[in-house]
Amino acid sequence: MNKFTEEKIRISKSAALLYLKNRRFTLSALAKASDIETEKIYDYFSNRRDVLDFFYEGLILEYKESVQSIDKYAEYTLSEKLSNLALTLIDLMDPYKEFVRETYKDRIACSSRTTPFEELFRQQLKVIYESDTNQSRLSAAFNRGFLYTAGSYNFHLLIQFWLRDKSPANQKTMELVDKWTAFVEELHYSSILDRGFDMAKFIFYNSPFSNT
Amino acid sequence: MSDFPSSKYDRGKIFAKTGLSVGKNYAKHYLKNLRGSDEQRNSEFYNQTAQQIFSEFTKLRGTALKIAQSLSIDQGLLPDEFSEVMTQAQYSVPPINRSLIRSIIKRELGSYPEVLFESFDTEAIAAASIGQVHTARLKSGEKVAVKIQYPGVRDTIASDLGLAKSLFKRFIKNKEDLNEYFEEIESTLRLETDYIHEGETINRFHNRFSTDRFETPRWIKEYSTERVLTMSFLEGEHLREFLERDPSQEEKNAFGQKIWDFFHEQIRQSDEIHADTHPGNFLLTEDGKLGIIDFGCVKNFPDEFFIDYLLLLPTHLERDLDKIKTLYDRLGVLKGDPETNQTEKKYFEFCLNYGFTFAMPYENDTFNFGNPEYREMIRGYTKNAPIGNEARGNKHFLYSTRVHLGLYHFLMKLGATVETKKSRDIVEERIGEAIV
Repeated sequence: MNKFTEEKIRISKSAALLYLKNRRFTLSALAKASDIETEKIYDYFSNRRDVLDFFYEGLILEYKESVQSIDKYAEYTLSEKLSNLALTLIDLMDPYKEFVRETYKDRIACSSRTTPFEELFRQQLKVIYESDTNQSRLSAAFNRGFLYTAGSYNFHLLIQFWLRDKSPANQKTMELVDKWTAFVEELHYSSILDRGFDMAKFIFYNSPFSNT
Repeated sequence: MSDFPSSKYDRGKIFAKTGLSVGKNYAKHYLKNLRGSDEQRNSEFYNQTAQQIFSEFTKLRGTALKIAQSLSIDQGLLPDEFSEVMTQAQYSVPPINRSLIRSIIKRELGSYPEVLFESFDTEAIAAASIGQVHTARLKSGEKVAVKIQYPGVRDTIASDLGLAKSLFKRFIKNKEDLNEYFEEIESTLRLETDYIHEGETINRFHNRFSTDRFETPRWIKEYSTERVLTMSFLEGEHLREFLERDPSQEEKNAFGQKIWDFFHEQIRQSDEIHADTHPGNFLLTEDGKLGIIDFGCVKNFPDEFFIDYLLLLPTHLERDLDKIKTLYDRLGVLKGDPETNQTEKKYFEFCLNYGFTFAMPYENDTFNFGNPEYREMIRGYTKNAPIGNEARGNKHFLYSTRVHLGLYHFLMKLGATVETKKSRDIVEERIGEAIV
């Protein structure tokens, strides 16, 4: 990650905290809170909406950066990689939980357009699924846009669960992520679909009831 | 990697499934036996059943695995094939998701392991009932063990014990008495899930037992919370590894003597007692010391129980039946007069003979735990125990027996001959101090 992006992320995090004090903060107030000169902030953002949207985009960039520092990440299973994506994003959101509570639904989950955050999130899902060689043949054929869209909807639900989670250190959220990703992995690794498909194909071509 | 079944439904389902599989195996076994019986068939049957129980219980981790561990300690209750498989529960269960571990560390210690530590091994070296252990190196270069608690494990204590209690209540006559045993187990398990409490215990044991014969880890408080426990790493061989390299009898005796002395030194110090005497918690360090790890389950038995418990030794050695009967009364083993009541007579005779066998190692100055006849005697008593449909004995027996049986089984497995004179003196001195 370059210095420019790092600085953008830092400013967007200051904005998240400032937003909780004053929803209509000015960029000059943000410059002050971020400890930079007012005119310089325009090098990074053109308006308040830009900066608030970038908060979520920045999370994915930070996630991508953190993956590089994980030892033996390539050996992780599908469930471990999916858990890592979900849990790292929640870890990054955690210090800004109130901001997420106030803004996630409107700015991300129910946004009328596909947000940069969602786009990047789906890209990450694509990378995870397509790099996994342990999936069954049939489930690998489903590595398509709708799978990643469904994945991002699941993540929205997970965020709603986490925002309501009152267990110590958000243990319930961790358990849900663990159970959910283990279930997804089981679905994708299971060869039952392959076998079912093989059987259906055989019956289709060899049916004793066919007219031909 | 596997998920952790924490809901009451998931865990109940596994309990039920295990019960059904075991029942099915027993039915098959019974039908086969109608057509004649042989040793080999029995052995295969026990092994198959044990494998199933082990595989299901390890999925549960938590409280259910604790039950599996207790079964493997009280090996006399189980056939050999069964014990062999169940002993695995003392060493390994399936580890949890590596990403989850990473996130738990971040939440508990404030940063990811790659930031906090010089190095952190994502593969667990041991996965036990309530947590798993990873090795790491601090920035200072010190090698440490990091124990990480499974998320939600604390919540499973009440539900697992509730399930176990409802099962027990079906065939236990004095249901009300059962509550105090379950309360004792529950409070002990709750303490085991508090890693700050365990860290403090580690420090107390470190102060008591850092000598030329024993080694215990040091708590690293800055890297510990209620759910993450960091301590200095003890290198050494566990019992299984030790036996695998076919050690000499002298080596076995030396190892055995250390664990025997550790047990009695705790009695001498009139302090907390390490109450989780299973082989996974002891090791032989490179410089020949007894390494003691895992201080989640330690007990401070009240004097009114513990002195009576210790008094069982001299009274059995002296074969003083009147004093023994009085002690059994006080300890809740007897509920009536064995001379007039047949049931009480059965309990009294059984406990008396078992007590004599238990006191045997103290009769002379040395004792050979490797003697197969002694092992058979202990097994014979535990197998033929008059376990009726009622709960008996002081609640503290739950853990005092666990410590004692664990020690004997460890030594029998090791096949060690130990010097016992000094330990007999320690018990008598401790009783003398309390009575004065």
